[in-house]
Amino acid sequence: MEFIVEKIGMSRTMNVPTVPVTLLKVIETRVCEVRDDGKALVAYNSSKKINAAIKGQQKKFGIDKSFNKFMTIEVAEGTEAGDLDTAPLAEAAVVKTSFNTKGRGFQGGMKRHGFSGGPGSHGHRFGRRIGSIGNAEWPGRVQPGQKMPGQYGNTKVTVKNEVLSYDAENGILVLKGAVPGPKGARGLVRIVK
Amino acid sequence: MRNKYIESFEKAQFAEKNIPDFRAGDTVRVAVRIKEGNKERIQNYEGVCIAIRGEGTGRTFNVRKIGANSIGVERVFPLYSESIESIEVVRRGRVRRAKLYYLRDRKGKAARIKELRRK
Repeated sequence: MEFIVEKIGMSRTMNVPTVPVTLLKVIETRVCEVRDDGKALVAYNSSKKINAAIKGQQKKFGIDKSFNKFMTIEVAEGTEAGDLDTAPLAEAAVVKTSFNTKGRGFQGGMKRHGFSGGPGSHGHRFGRRIGSIGNAEWPGRVQPGQKMPGQYGNTKVTVKNEVLSYDAENGILVLKGAVPGPKGARGLVRIVK
Repeated sequence: MRNKYIESFEKAQFAEKNIPDFRAGDTVRVAVRIKEGNKERIQNYEGVCIAIRGEGTGRTFNVRKIGANSIGVERVFPLYSESIESIEVVRRGRVRRAKLYYLRDRKGKAARIKELRRK
């Protein structure tokens, strides 16, 4: 079962030893259409964007104007169209949390892959360059998967977290440890156990 | 501004704690729970509180005392920590600032703090 969540931020518990926690807000989700393969088309709110396509979908499924974003997620067996039931979260022990990591833009080999780089001084032209990327006339090409500079971050990363508590009234899910991405980011939690 | 959900999550954790009102310059006695093997005992630590800082669960206070051989000892405690059994204010001090880091450079008589006398 998956749920759409928003990252609120981190805190900690005061017991000994203290536990770092991440707070997530479960976004109100409406089930539009349940498919045969255990997935369902759901709608949730994201900004105020509206266009003819969104309006048409809202009319088709008879949902409120504020639910203007659509997504296909895994749902519990026996789910019907209407509000998505968040009760399974209260019994969940372990979840997998998927978020997009913070985007760091185009980065060099040192930051992106942890290359050690060149010396800090003594007159050289190595600095933060990546160095050699291959062999000689044989094989005459660069090996696939060679680590090079490029876009770093803003990729989907999934981590496993323990569930500490779930406040159904406010929809606040408290997880042990960290999750990727900045505060305010949207992601998915999937119940593993 | 802190997020209201984080704030309420943190407040719920120390809502039942009874912590006396004290500030920098006050002499406090902190009863610290110490675990040795499977035995637990309480050790008192007394000194001048020289700083209180932080928000929510991260709020800490710094207690300075002069230990054996006149070595200055400073311990930083999380204010709401479970390992603190109790905090007792022994003496209120009259100071004019919130952080008393200048006490680190003072010795003996110069490091005294006058007692606060309320009229």
